[in-house]
Amino acid sequence: MTASDNKRLRDVALLATLVVLGFIMLVPLMWTVLLSLKSNSDLLQSTANAFHGPYTVENYAAITKSSGVFRWLMNSVIVSGLQTIGVLVLASLAGYGFARLEFPYRDQIFLLVLFGLAIPEQAVIITRHQLFTGLHLHNSYPGLILPGLAAPFGVFLMTQYFKAIPKELDEAAILDNASRFKIFWKVLLPLTIPAQATLGIFTFLGSWNDYWWPLISATRADMFTLTVGLSASQINFAQTSGLGYLMTQAVFAAVPILIVYIIFQKYIVRAVAGAAIR
Amino acid sequence: MGGRVSGIEISHVTKAYGATPVLDGVTLSIADNEFVAFLGPSGCGKTTLLRLIAGLEEVDAGEIHINGRRVDQLAPGARGVAMVFQNYALYPHMTVADNLAFGLKNVGVGKAEIETRIAEAARILEIGDYLHRKPGELSGGQKQRVAIGRAIVKKPDLFLFDEPLSNLDAALRMRTRLELAQLRRRLKATMILVTHDQVEAMTLADRIVVMKDRKIQQVGTPMEIYTRPANVFVAGFVGSPPMNILKVELDTAGPVAMAKLAGGVFKTGVVSAGLPASSDWRIGLRPENVHIAGSGDGLAATVEFVERLGERTLVYTKLADGTAVTAEDAGTSKVKMGDPVGLRMDAEAAHLFDGEGVGYHAPEVEG
Repeated sequence: MTASDNKRLRDVALLATLVVLGFIMLVPLMWTVLLSLKSNSDLLQSTANAFHGPYTVENYAAITKSSGVFRWLMNSVIVSGLQTIGVLVLASLAGYGFARLEFPYRDQIFLLVLFGLAIPEQAVIITRHQLFTGLHLHNSYPGLILPGLAAPFGVFLMTQYFKAIPKELDEAAILDNASRFKIFWKVLLPLTIPAQATLGIFTFLGSWNDYWWPLISATRADMFTLTVGLSASQINFAQTSGLGYLMTQAVFAAVPILIVYIIFQKYIVRAVAGAAIR
Repeated sequence: MGGRVSGIEISHVTKAYGATPVLDGVTLSIADNEFVAFLGPSGCGKTTLLRLIAGLEEVDAGEIHINGRRVDQLAPGARGVAMVFQNYALYPHMTVADNLAFGLKNVGVGKAEIETRIAEAARILEIGDYLHRKPGELSGGQKQRVAIGRAIVKKPDLFLFDEPLSNLDAALRMRTRLELAQLRRRLKATMILVTHDQVEAMTLADRIVVMKDRKIQQVGTPMEIYTRPANVFVAGFVGSPPMNILKVELDTAGPVAMAKLAGGVFKTGVVSAGLPASSDWRIGLRPENVHIAGSGDGLAATVEFVERLGERTLVYTKLADGTAVTAEDAGTSKVKMGDPVGLRMDAEAAHLFDGEGVGYHAPEVEG
């Protein structure tokens, strides 16, 4: 066997392995979609019915009429969207400050921010709950959004990114009569778009999938996010009846995230690959 | 209009980074439309001086005036200077046209005027074809032109170039140097070039400011610097290969100084009158003033290395006492490594340096 035959064989083996692994990962998703397309009564007999017809969209029709899933979807979009925007704005400004400005105790403050990375949510949840109770912020959008804005990882990422931009660009802009804000806004910030995309995606996904804080803070059904809402539905149906309906809700929950993935695929791959290299 | 003082005046400028002094009371005048090169080894303070003029660093003491206006306390953008950076510092996300327009927009220049100035700069620098490209799509030479273009459109009182050719390959550097010289003639503006490359300084500048150890060592035209170095540092730094510096005993009894070397006594062109009493004299001779003669003629030396440059041959030799001397021979020279040779010296072209390193030269020939 020649060297090129060997390589070809290796490539085929690798491809076959990846296809099998990919298929295994897709099985639960396909299972969810299949179940969502079956009537609840069919599934009550046996979930194996999902492998053959008849298929129906009655669950999708029902979800638009009776469930709170649209409200939860909207809540999730609002909370995740605003949290992402907030994190990007704050982390960019803080990153620029730490990377470019000189102020007293800058390095110590940066270290303090980094300490935030080491503190788990569990350690602060009770105090945070008490604080938000005192501020009457539970069951409100600010109550759901504000805790996620403290993003030490984001500040760290943006600081490192700003530091990597040559200072000559700032100096060229200074000589071009640009104000400090203009240098930040017009010269440096556009160069951080790859970092912003990475941070934005991770923040959005993290916020979208967050379960614990919304579960604690949102006690009214109209303020549930999608994760909390679906979980509440699951308890109601106990997976004994209405399984198709439940799976339809899951598909609904997954669609926005799928869209985000498709749009930002390039950046997600780059971000994950970058993290792996580091 | 009257009363405007043209040019740049730098008076007693001092700068330190923490406890490390970088410039020590530098004073310099640059005339209007003059092209001056700051030349010196790394760490001599030349770039810092440029950055102080630009306003990218603040002076600790002293004053800087541009065209009669004190600028050392003004913001960089208000000084009327434009700078071309070593690594170009073009805004990577903007097109070439936007790079050129950015500074003009910031000071409220009208759209039509901006377009006129960009078109003019594009014509001068021949960058019209890639005005809509981004810097990442340009070659090093093209980026360099854009960086110069960004300076030109501002119509500044003073152009500052921070080692602008150092990132270019040898062939492109030579071409860009030529273009810079032509540009300078066309723009008729005051320019300061920072470089550690003496060829750049010699070929481009009207005057060269040689710096070392935070201080100006000499200011003069390229040929003044080359032919009448103020001290032993300038003598050794300017010229390639460097000037030969040999220890000598000096006899100043006659009208011109006689230099005693191991191989004989040489009559220099330096007038004895005015030479200080010093026991530590050195003689400086450029390689082109040391010639290869037959063995037994002149100073006895052994050939250590031969560098054939085509039109001439550089012969690196060693005297009996181990002193290295570089000589020049014809391009067709037959000398080989290890050959014993004699060195004939044009002693009348020699420079003398006293114990403090101060240079003394033969009187300038009139006409």
